[in-house]
Amino acid sequence: MDKFIVNIIHRPEMVPEYAEKVTGHGKEEDIGRKELLTESLDIFKTQQAIAHKNGLKTTIQMTYASLFNDEAVELAKADHEKYGDEIALSLLGLPCEEFREKYKTKDFCIWMFSMEDKKSIVDDVFGKFRDRFGFYPESTGSYYMDADLVNYIKEKYPMVKCAVATCWEEGPKAYHTCNNSWYTFMDGGPWAPWIPSKQNVHAPAANEAEDSGIVAIPHLSRDLLACYDGNGSNFGTHPQNVLRGMIYDSKTWEFPYLYNLIDQYRDLAKYNNGYAYNMMFVGPGWMNKMGRWEAPYELLLKSYEDGMAYYGQLKKEGKLDDMTMAEFADYFRAHRRLTEPECALWRDILYGSDKQLFWYCDPYMRVCANMDQGGAIVDLRPYAAKLEWPVGIGTKHVTDASYPFLIQEKYRAGYFTHYAGEGTVRSAKLTHNGEEVDLCLCRTKAHFSEEGRTRILTLDPVDIEFYDLTVKLQTKMYFEEGSSRIKIERTVLEMSDPNAEVELNEYMVACYGTTEYSEDMTNVVLTVTDGAKTERIDYAYKCREAQLTGATEAVAVVPEIETRVSLSCEKKDAVGYIKEGYAFSPMFTLGYTTRLKDKEVFATWLNLAKAN
Amino acid sequence: MAQSGKGKLNYRCPSCFMRDLDIDMFYDKDKKEYHCIRCQYVGTEEDVLEKNELVRFRYKDAMKRFTKFDFD
Repeated sequence: MDKFIVNIIHRPEMVPEYAEKVTGHGKEEDIGRKELLTESLDIFKTQQAIAHKNGLKTTIQMTYASLFNDEAVELAKADHEKYGDEIALSLLGLPCEEFREKYKTKDFCIWMFSMEDKKSIVDDVFGKFRDRFGFYPESTGSYYMDADLVNYIKEKYPMVKCAVATCWEEGPKAYHTCNNSWYTFMDGGPWAPWIPSKQNVHAPAANEAEDSGIVAIPHLSRDLLACYDGNGSNFGTHPQNVLRGMIYDSKTWEFPYLYNLIDQYRDLAKYNNGYAYNMMFVGPGWMNKMGRWEAPYELLLKSYEDGMAYYGQLKKEGKLDDMTMAEFADYFRAHRRLTEPECALWRDILYGSDKQLFWYCDPYMRVCANMDQGGAIVDLRPYAAKLEWPVGIGTKHVTDASYPFLIQEKYRAGYFTHYAGEGTVRSAKLTHNGEEVDLCLCRTKAHFSEEGRTRILTLDPVDIEFYDLTVKLQTKMYFEEGSSRIKIERTVLEMSDPNAEVELNEYMVACYGTTEYSEDMTNVVLTVTDGAKTERIDYAYKCREAQLTGATEAVAVVPEIETRVSLSCEKKDAVGYIKEGYAFSPMFTLGYTTRLKDKEVFATWLNLAKAN
Repeated sequence: MAQSGKGKLNYRCPSCFMRDLDIDMFYDKDKKEYHCIRCQYVGTEEDVLEKNELVRFRYKDAMKRFTKFDFD
């Protein structure tokens, strides 16, 4: 039987994000204002009451500021006793007079502090928590938790088993939406719970040696299509985020999109051995009495009540299990292999496009294939590298916690580019008598299946129409658990002229980075080899190419992200090639060309490894 | 002319919203209009509300309830 689990999390944040900045506009800053503290606690009480009214237990993430507030502490203890809520500890909500006096800073994102300060703050907050409750918490979290921080917490406080550790695809897009003033750069992570590696929180652990010891959960369950394209803070299991996106009827105040989002997450059980997950975590700043943007308080409140009522209804119908974070961590560890992938065949539920994406995440890669582009891979994160990427003051990445990509169609173009150059994508082109068609222009749908430990994506066949020939082609993608590679198979199902031949060009255009802006490519090394002979290009923006008939592998090594990526094939007469880019197109291309007749099949593999 | 302030709600600029920018507008009580400090949008509350309906054009399925999420 399918199991759909929800974590409901509340935090008594004594100085809610936005409350001071937005609703306090026109007043001198004073984070100790009595009205602010009173209102914050009232919101927390309201949220708790709504959850309990719907028969749902919560995880109460105490903030540093709330540990100085007797009423907040007593409320948490009482709800733990009465409802079984977990009392946990958030590393959000640091700002308060005590924190500012002690640390002399207005920083509030734990991963951005220096390592020295992270340790000091963690010890301070965990110690204060123990003073107030007599035990250490089993769950913690922030918007992002870097590996060094998690490793420190786990070493010092081994009872911690669960943490909110990333916001899915919250990066440059969120930054832009906030007029370049919101520094949460954390693209490239999993969208559903995972066991992080010790090297990089975004990259799941492949084995016990890499296991960080915690179960990580994402901050909210986000729309896997809308958030990839637009502002992540509009499309998640956060009712007021849906209001922020204006995805509601302004007259009736109805918002079926939220329920569609929850239901689509429930539906993901069929791709994940019967398990599905949701997380709702609304900070109190979203329910303040002044309203939030266009939404008056009454609508903010209604949206939370309605959202929680839906979870409550699902629970009553036996379709949902509410758990605390610590309970969930135990469940997850008991039911999940480390190498087990997370899969999501996701459809558009908002824009009316019927667009479909397939997301795949395991300890070696995170991949997005876009069925509106013939199954092209439009996002690829090489977790196989387990890139150590310290963040915070004193490191090379003060705020940038994103796991780097090789392919990212929004930041580095995809199929379509302006005037010249190429964008990052893994696709294929067919050519015949001087005509060329890219599969990126063939819209289709996909179907999911499993054979043993291989997840298979079978795409509906597409017709490629040349002037004097029509080719019916089918794509299948194979994700073999633990293999660190993807097999892509193209089959010619039918040709209008059974004696015709077409050329198939399997290609991958890639680069590396975490933002829209290009990085220095001069350390990239490209090789193509047939085992005996190797052609090599040291990247220098010179637009060079090399090819080998019978190539076993076309390889790029990207030292900056310690990644080795290659395409390989077993067909003896296929031609492997490598292409260097140029200044206006700072990419590299790996590929194979071959000729195909009716009923023939051509398979290539995309392989990822750590470059030593 | 006195300084602008917040209106009764923190209306965002509808023009910026359409390009995925959340920018609070400020209210000029003398002219009874909101204005964006990021772009050139200016409008009364009525105009803001009207434009907020317009920005929803892209959400064709916003009010549809889905019961099927695959194409099998």
